[in-house]
Amino acid sequence: MFCYRLSTGTGCRAWIAAVATVLLLAGCALPAMPVVNMDEPAIAPSFRVGLVTDIGRINDRSFNQSAWEGVLAAAETLGLTEGEGFKFIETTDPKDYADNLGQFINNGYDVIVSVGYVLGDATIEASLENPDIHFIGVDQFQVQSLPNLAGLVFREDQAGFLAGMLAAGLSRTGTIAAVLGADLIPPVVAFGEGFALGARYVNPEIEVMATYHPGDLSIAFNDPEWGAATARQALDQKADVVFGGGGNTGNGAIQEVATDPGAGTSVFCIGVDTDQWYTVPAVRPCLVSSAMELKTAGVDELIVVGPELQELLAVKAAFDEGTLETGYDQ
Amino acid sequence: MAALQTALALLGAVLLGVVLMAVLGHNPWEAFTGLIAGSAGTARGLAATVRKTSPFVLTGLSVALAMKAGLFNIGTAGQFLMGSVGAVWVGIQFEGLPVWFHLPLAVAMGIGFGCAWGAIPGWLKVSTGAHEVITTIMLNHVATLFTGWTVFAGSTLSTTRPGPLWDSTAGPVSASTDVLASARIPWIFGPPLRIHWGIALALLAALLVWWLMERTRFGFELKTVGAKPLAARYAGMRSGWTTVLTMTWAGGLAGLAGAIETLGVNHKFAPEFGGGVGFEGITIALLGQGHPLGIVLASLLFAALDAGAPKMQFDSGVPSDIIQVIQTLILIFVAVPALATWLLDRMSRTQHVSAVAASLRI
Amino acid sequence: MASFTQSTARFTAGLSLLLLTGAFLVEYAPFADIQAIRMLFGARVLNFALCAAIPLILGALGGILCERSGIVNIGIEGMMLAGAFAAFVAKTATNHWALGPSLLLGTCATLLTGAAMGLLHALFCLRFGMHQLISGTALILLSMGISATFFDRDAVAVGKFAPWPVPLLSEWPVIGPLLFNKPPITYVALLAVAVVGFALAHTRWGLRTRAIGEHPRAADTAGVAVLRLRYLNTTLGGALAGLGGGYLVLEAVGQFQEGMTAGRGFIALAAVIFGNWHPVGALGASLLFGYAQAIQNELLLAQATILPRHFISMIPYLVTVIAVSGLVGRVRAPGSLGQSYLRETEV
Repeated sequence: MFCYRLSTGTGCRAWIAAVATVLLLAGCALPAMPVVNMDEPAIAPSFRVGLVTDIGRINDRSFNQSAWEGVLAAAETLGLTEGEGFKFIETTDPKDYADNLGQFINNGYDVIVSVGYVLGDATIEASLENPDIHFIGVDQFQVQSLPNLAGLVFREDQAGFLAGMLAAGLSRTGTIAAVLGADLIPPVVAFGEGFALGARYVNPEIEVMATYHPGDLSIAFNDPEWGAATARQALDQKADVVFGGGGNTGNGAIQEVATDPGAGTSVFCIGVDTDQWYTVPAVRPCLVSSAMELKTAGVDELIVVGPELQELLAVKAAFDEGTLETGYDQ
Repeated sequence: MAALQTALALLGAVLLGVVLMAVLGHNPWEAFTGLIAGSAGTARGLAATVRKTSPFVLTGLSVALAMKAGLFNIGTAGQFLMGSVGAVWVGIQFEGLPVWFHLPLAVAMGIGFGCAWGAIPGWLKVSTGAHEVITTIMLNHVATLFTGWTVFAGSTLSTTRPGPLWDSTAGPVSASTDVLASARIPWIFGPPLRIHWGIALALLAALLVWWLMERTRFGFELKTVGAKPLAARYAGMRSGWTTVLTMTWAGGLAGLAGAIETLGVNHKFAPEFGGGVGFEGITIALLGQGHPLGIVLASLLFAALDAGAPKMQFDSGVPSDIIQVIQTLILIFVAVPALATWLLDRMSRTQHVSAVAASLRI
Repeated sequence: MASFTQSTARFTAGLSLLLLTGAFLVEYAPFADIQAIRMLFGARVLNFALCAAIPLILGALGGILCERSGIVNIGIEGMMLAGAFAAFVAKTATNHWALGPSLLLGTCATLLTGAAMGLLHALFCLRFGMHQLISGTALILLSMGISATFFDRDAVAVGKFAPWPVPLLSEWPVIGPLLFNKPPITYVALLAVAVVGFALAHTRWGLRTRAIGEHPRAADTAGVAVLRLRYLNTTLGGALAGLGGGYLVLEAVGQFQEGMTAGRGFIALAAVIFGNWHPVGALGASLLFGYAQAIQNELLLAQATILPRHFISMIPYLVTVIAVSGLVGRVRAPGSLGQSYLRETEV
């Protein structure tokens, strides 16, 4: 269900790819990582975890919430209490990313989770300035790898591809639609393009209507009215499967599909990010699947191995350089 | 009296904020100590306050300048974005230029883009009568889309090409190339404080606007056109020309704000750097009552509140939305002298009543 | 004044006629096979245009009621957001009720909250002499801050308004499904345009409202209670604008989202001015904007363009700028707009 790889080779990212839809797993054939003994977490009682959200709320039923649930799960494993052991800061202004990270840095937190790709630069800067603190960047690409920073990156194109295959298989009209957030956010584009490619993989003739929200970033993911109207427009245009990929804008789209008289019999919808059967109950009449990212599990495991990460990476680097041998001689 | 009223307004806003926090189940004391410590208690806090002040000052001046001429510039957000892109456009090319030439050129280009974006509504108003409120709102959206396109990363499938300023090494990320060192505004205090000379530019602009309004013929014409359009026409003033020029300079001020933010702090342009600028400009212009000094003070106050918000949230768990509510309350109380005097009156009367009650009790 | 009003009314009539003619063309003639005609006037485009226009129409009507009485209202966005939030709170609190009463309560909540916002605006401007732009700004900031602070993100509203087909009329070809098979707030909005337009022009209330907006002192001399009427109209306007926000929650989406009005209040403000402070003109402006947005979406959905998406998305905004500078031209605000009015005895 969840596979990842750690590496420090030059030009190589420390990355973790984890994709799953409810139906299928992406083809992961990567070496498993050494198992950390979790029975006795060798962690000092003062161990503290902080999380900085992207613009939005901790319970946004989307990526911030998924990441926070990862922190909660890790905190349970580690026996931390909220407030002392772990807490979050919600970002309301893009100018505040660095300052919000700074709150946890100044207070000597051990692991800091920053959520969202737009926090990438601030996180890299902070991890360079604070080599003793471990950073986890959710949805953040790193061109160059840093020993104390782990980017949690998902293959949205693969999840979108599978959703597209499913949609093309379900469609009877030969027309499907994707209602997406801003095309300036890479994961959203990856979802959309993957969706179209997956659909054409099943049915090269299929017509895929994909459209991105026209507004700026502050509203592109928070405009359910536009999402609903656009989904309606797509349904009127004979689309019978709608993929909603863009926060609340996408949720608006699939909620509109759910209110269609043919919901669940002739028209269907596919959700995104979380299993929306649970997170957006209003869409149950039409929902067939959700293109999920297992952010919760990713964040959870990264926090638990966080303190060990540096050591593991050092060993890995030593293997690569040949200065360390396992002792196994072929 | 004015100072007393302002102090009273701040006090009233804070008191209501305390009530709101208590209602939400938070500890107001923790929140306010966090707010103050976060904005003024540490070097980093002070630095954040200073850093956040300059865009407030400039967008506030932009709105105020237009308002003096009877124009309502809701377009600062768009002008800010255009200024950012203008500055970045120059800032990422011409490697090898000396700082003394490259930096002013980039700043000037930012101002120029802002001026152009402000001039359009002014010119449309004069030539066709199109109301500046409509055109500036619409041009904000156009600027958002245009500037987003300039750094758009494109996608492998669609026919859409990447934008002209997009950094091809950034992978799928929509952002511009980094501004060259020769076009960056130098630090006063480098990282981690990150205070740059942009604040001096902003204060200089405030001084310049004051001089323009109070000491020049253009300023006199501008105010006359704003206050008494008919009288201005009878006096032979070219009110159309004044309108266009005012909107141009208002746009230029907002454009300078964008240039300062990109050349001083962000060192590149990405679509998320423009959010929320426009509206704060209006609030600050109104709070500062259109006077450059008032605008500087209002900007400092709002910057301090914004800078303290993360620490407040960290210490007390109060969501930063409360800052917006408090800012609004400050605006309301400062804007309503009647409300402040009414409150003052009420308080003195209560004191009087309690004094009487005390004397009766013996 | 008359000729200005006529020009915006003519614009609205022309636009509506054009869209309806197009819709008939698509339905009947051999034109139906031409893709461009289908794209421009297909049922889905016109439906989208109407959906997008409804909140703008209601917001603009709210603005008109305030501004024709002489009070500037840049706070439409705030009134709409407050209305949307109230609708959501009322709807989620009564999820266990039958759908009808629950939605009705939501509608009442949205109207009352909008009215309260209008009254607050009037109080700030009239009782406390606040600058009218400041008051409007404060309304927006206040409703943004408060709705974000108190929004329970785990709450889910169950159900929203379904279409109510009008008997007989909904059977008509083309016009029937387009105009007479809609959820209720859409009808209310369209009716409100007619009612407010008629009342402003032909009733005693309308005459007085125009009088206090144009020349309060003269109206006062003639025995009109200027302040009281301003309170009343601003409150009514707030209720209408609030309903525009309620439409988003109760009819369009079914859920609330922080900042969900997404600038629609400002577009509505533009529609007020575009329509020369006249309900019919504002209707035309809102329709034009909704229509331009529909065309933009249509082009994006069909991917029938080589231009970058961003330039296609500029269409609604550029069309509005061109329309307001080319087609409508100079508009004239009510005479006393933005000036506070104090009777001599009160000064």
